[in-house]
Amino acid sequence: MPDFDVIVVGAGPAGAAAALEAARAGRSVCLLERGPYPGSKNMYGGVIYGRVLDTLIPNWWEEAPIQRWVTRRSTMLMAGDQAVTVDYRCSSWGEAPYNGATAFRPEFDAWLASKAEAAGAVLICSTTATGLLRDGTRVVGVRTDRPDGDLTAQVVICCDGVNSFLAKEAGLYPPSDPANYTLGVKETILLPREVIDERFAVRGDHGVDIEILGCTGEVPGGGFLYTNAESLAVGLVLSLPKLAACGRRPEEMLAELKAHSAIAPLIEGGQVKEYSAHVIPEAGYKMMPELIGDGILVAGDAAAMCLAAGIWLEGVNFAIGSGAAAGQAAARAVQRRDTSSAGLQDYRRRLDSNFVMSDHRKLREAPHLVMSDLAQQQLPRIACGVMEQLFTVTNPDPKPGLRKIIRGQMKLNNLKLRDAISQGMKALRTFG
Amino acid sequence: MNPADLNPAGLNPAGINLVACVKWAELRPEIDPLHGSVEASQRSSGFSSSDFAAVESALRLAQAWSDQGQTCGVTVLCAGPEGAEDSLRDFFAVGATRVVRVHLAEQRSSAQVAELLASALMPSQLNAQFVICGDVSSDRGSGSVPAYLAHHLGMQQALGLIGLESTDPGSLHATRRLDGGRRERLLLMTAAVISVEGSVATLRRSSLAATLAAKQKTVEVRKQQIDWPTEVNRLRPWRPRARVLAPPAGDDALSRILELTGAQSGSTAARTLRLDPEQAAEAVLEQLAAWGYLDDSLPT
Repeated sequence: MPDFDVIVVGAGPAGAAAALEAARAGRSVCLLERGPYPGSKNMYGGVIYGRVLDTLIPNWWEEAPIQRWVTRRSTMLMAGDQAVTVDYRCSSWGEAPYNGATAFRPEFDAWLASKAEAAGAVLICSTTATGLLRDGTRVVGVRTDRPDGDLTAQVVICCDGVNSFLAKEAGLYPPSDPANYTLGVKETILLPREVIDERFAVRGDHGVDIEILGCTGEVPGGGFLYTNAESLAVGLVLSLPKLAACGRRPEEMLAELKAHSAIAPLIEGGQVKEYSAHVIPEAGYKMMPELIGDGILVAGDAAAMCLAAGIWLEGVNFAIGSGAAAGQAAARAVQRRDTSSAGLQDYRRRLDSNFVMSDHRKLREAPHLVMSDLAQQQLPRIACGVMEQLFTVTNPDPKPGLRKIIRGQMKLNNLKLRDAISQGMKALRTFG
Repeated sequence: MNPADLNPAGLNPAGINLVACVKWAELRPEIDPLHGSVEASQRSSGFSSSDFAAVESALRLAQAWSDQGQTCGVTVLCAGPEGAEDSLRDFFAVGATRVVRVHLAEQRSSAQVAELLASALMPSQLNAQFVICGDVSSDRGSGSVPAYLAHHLGMQQALGLIGLESTDPGSLHATRRLDGGRRERLLLMTAAVISVEGSVATLRRSSLAATLAAKQKTVEVRKQQIDWPTEVNRLRPWRPRARVLAPPAGDDALSRILELTGAQSGSTAARTLRLDPEQAAEAVLEQLAAWGYLDDSLPT
């Protein structure tokens, strides 16, 4: 007789959602967390899009520990000391049911895990799952780092994060390719609420999310800056192999971003409260492991369910979506007394039928496109160059035509029209 | 030991009751630089390493004496808020027989915390033979709670211990740090209050089964009624900053002390001025400037 019906490893958004759904279905659930509390080990560099919570926790926005509701979304292209920003503002994003929000992960993850506990899941913190228990090829539980720490279950759901040693041990992952990963580094900078409101032109609990391209020099990646209630988060996402090859420290590159004329005035006078770093499964669909094995499911970052698609940078919603699907599928399999790989295929069906897999499949080329030289180097330089020429008044010379400016900038940046059209078509196919 | 060996009041008629006192405290307090207020957070609160050492010491002593045939029980006692209960429950997992929380929702002085704990430790209540505390809590603790406890309970005390060894049941050898790198060895008999440094022991890691079982355990809650006098926040008058003085001149120590204290120099005679408020303020500032307390750049 197993100790539990379902063991969920990792109490991040994916794990908490999996535990919540499995517990609600009446299954006995153990939620293991290696940190002292859910969220204590987690970081992210963006926004939580909560629509996925609507069915999980009705009116979640009334109780979720949110810092600010994002009502301004900016995309900034940087080159040298220049920057071009496309700024979108939407007041309705600041009203229920809201769109996206910034939050502190220790608060948000702990809140979500508390929902799983309230549904009946048993949360055990400060406990690391160090390996899988098997019966032949079948996974029957996990070994933990506690004395007498074996725990058995009919289904193990791995939500143990980007490095998922359990999924690797289960043979669900192909050999790791560093090119599929990026390193995210982030500083949290304290500023008074009214200063943030003034600098970012927001009021109350409204906030801003700025995504930045062209700020990482020779290393492909991107930057971000978003507002919390009384702090800012500014950071970079950097290609792992290119970062290693260039020999520079990520904090140096972050310092350069902070010193940029478009960013420095926004963070001026702030006190750095925290520096953190985390690996991100950047390649999305193309690096996903096998999601199902005998007695085992993989969800969240552990399953590379992170969408890094340039204009869309999402992770927590995919973690919650995949975790919830895993919890439901596991509960159903336990009820049907078939937790084999075939019995757990419902997980795949659920993922395929919702946004989790369809978005990843549709945007599978996007990470490659975003990390290309065109997006990383040429596009920001061309955009900034065009803007500079367009808005520099050169009297008594007459204004040059826009077409001439663009062609000149393309030539200056070694971008041929043919390549631009080819990349543009690729982008249309990817995002279209 | 088997909890059944304890009677309902927690007394060990034929045994030794070891009580480990722990304090739920902010481990990484946020202090507002402007007004000095401390922001507490549930997530960053917990027990100090010396509190954990106190619990582990109690468990080791109980184990050692139990091995010698003596019935021993370990009770963990905490004065703290309801939010501490999840963490307190973990002490069941490492082997505590009872966990008691005396309700204390707000910050109190060491004397008051000790009074509260002592009310739960009285013979009619937990009846402790040894009370083991951490030497200082992590929130700027003064280490005085154990001393107050010893006073309230009328027990002997040995504080700031850096080593504990069990001997015969009911007695133990303790090591205390002295100045100059010296050590003091003490033989302690029941009943005593002792406090240990965090280096004395590291709390054992509980087994998974015990951790799971602890989830079902209940922390006993006592709401002790103590009528503390209402605390009045006193506003102290502003004191000017100390002046930087040149080293006193003088060939010998006496002359330098006389110079430094101004004992033989003329003092300003006391004056009583009857002035309008504005003029009075002017006069005060003028006098302070004359004494050198005010920066010359300030308007007087």
